[in-house]
Amino acid sequence: MAERRTHFNVADIPGFGLTAMVVFAALYAPIMALIVYSFNASPSVANWGGLTLDWYRKAAHNQEILNATANSLIIATQAALFSTVLATLAALGTTRRPPFKGMTAIYAAINQPLMVPEIVTAVALLVLTAAVKQATGYSGLGYLVLAHTAFCIPFAYLPIRARLEGMDLSYETAAADLYASDWQVFRHVTLPLLLPGILAGAMLAFVTSLDDVVITEFIKSPGQDTLPTYMLGQLRRAMTPDVNAISAVLMGVTVLMLCAFFLLTRKKN
Amino acid sequence: MKKVLGAVALLMGGTGIASAGGELFLYNWGNYTSPEMIKKFEEKYDVKVTITDFDSNDTALAKIEAGGSGFDLVVPSAGFVGIYAEKGLIQKLDLSRLPNHKNIAPDWMDVAWDPGREWSVPFQWGSTGVSVNVKDYAGDINTSSIFMDPPPELHGKINVIPEMGDVMALATLWAGGDVCSEDAEVMKKVRDALLAAKPKWMSMDYSTVEKMVNHDYGATVDWNGSGLRTRLANPDVKWGYPKEGYGLWMDNVVLLSDAKNVDNAYLFLDFIMEPENAAMLSAFARYANGIAGSEAFMPDDMKGAPELVPPAEFANLGQFVTVCTGKALEYQNAIWTELQK
Repeated sequence: MAERRTHFNVADIPGFGLTAMVVFAALYAPIMALIVYSFNASPSVANWGGLTLDWYRKAAHNQEILNATANSLIIATQAALFSTVLATLAALGTTRRPPFKGMTAIYAAINQPLMVPEIVTAVALLVLTAAVKQATGYSGLGYLVLAHTAFCIPFAYLPIRARLEGMDLSYETAAADLYASDWQVFRHVTLPLLLPGILAGAMLAFVTSLDDVVITEFIKSPGQDTLPTYMLGQLRRAMTPDVNAISAVLMGVTVLMLCAFFLLTRKKN
Repeated sequence: MKKVLGAVALLMGGTGIASAGGELFLYNWGNYTSPEMIKKFEEKYDVKVTITDFDSNDTALAKIEAGGSGFDLVVPSAGFVGIYAEKGLIQKLDLSRLPNHKNIAPDWMDVAWDPGREWSVPFQWGSTGVSVNVKDYAGDINTSSIFMDPPPELHGKINVIPEMGDVMALATLWAGGDVCSEDAEVMKKVRDALLAAKPKWMSMDYSTVEKMVNHDYGATVDWNGSGLRTRLANPDVKWGYPKEGYGLWMDNVVLLSDAKNVDNAYLFLDFIMEPENAAMLSAFARYANGIAGSEAFMPDDMKGAPELVPPAEFANLGQFVTVCTGKALEYQNAIWTELQK
């Protein structure tokens, strides 16, 4: 009996496997090369001089790198926290109620950081923060946390909203039918179901903040170099493999977070 | 409770660890300031120095111009010192507070962007020229013809750094013009020569040191600091100062008008003009510093290095590479775009 095709399968297109392999190679080969060369004993990129952990040791003893790492983590943690809380509220406000006039405008406003070129936001923030710095005399990390929170909101918002829209409303309706108050519905039904979306949003926000160069470069105050701006500063001079080592560590953090996210969502589903 | 507040204040302040001598905020190119020299300064004066990086003159200027940057000292390149001064962003130096000012080498005292050095103090300087492997080519290497009209031995082995300002300056000087030439005849010669030479090049890439050391390239346009590092790793490579004129650059320390730590800034400016300390800067950044007498304190492999200080016959052939404007920039952009195709 001949097998009957029931639906179109994209994997049956000729060359699918090859294309996929090329795409994955293009995505991961440079990263693999960077990680491999972070263990290269020779300071030259072209020569392989055997395995070493020296560059990691060197990076770990470089006070500038340590400060930059601390700044990056402090800013990313706070920005992820604040933006996720705000994004969750925004997502609830734009999904758990009948559509209202101006909702599209609100979507657009929330997602503005995705649309406006980063350099425009950076220059605008430079002008604004300079004025505030002069008026108040405060030059702490607050500006960076605030700016990062702002541009991280859409990254946190999108997965949370997607999760909310995909959630079956009947659970919430059932809970309400059983005399649960609004708060109880939210606390015991909506929030637990939404948690994977919130975690996904928080991690995306964290990684986005960790990555940022342009805005940070423009509004950082003295001593507020983050890892990406520190690395950018090396460009004009010879790059040494300790930059590879930091990048490898950053990659490791990202991969760990992705794995954590995967495990968390798998359990919930 | 006080302890908690103190800890919070410390966290908020980030770098606000107080030193008796106060603080100093330096805004400099990344990976450019010798950590050993900073440590020496901090220990001598008990001043906490915070270094923040920038990656281009334009970013640094934009941030300073916006105001409230919080920096005391900045290290712009030669062409930018005048812009800072014109915009009122930096203050004239009180030379009576800089006893080491007399250590500035005579060649670097009356510079075009700051005659008499009343606004800026030398940090590091270098040149753009050619690095050639003499195993490939035994002829005269002190010429931009190495890449503008390559000898047959070097065909297919030449690299040119993809840096428009530096390469166009060498090319224009080679064609008999000024660094920012607006002369259509000269610029046409530059264009035709570059386009004719390009098929004889191998690449336009920044990573010159490894590839020259490994003899993947036979010659490259380069900065002298890279030339020095290349030669130390492979003695077959020699540095050429193009006799048609070669490029020069210098980074200088300036004192911002809204600096809050002016006293410490003067201490620092004077400190880096002490030959021994200037040599520490050079030992780290691998360029010359413009302070007389510093060579005696430099690492052995930099003492008398031909890449760092040009031999007498080439000493006066260097031209400062500035950011061109108007017609000159239009020509350069057009030629550069055509060259990238």
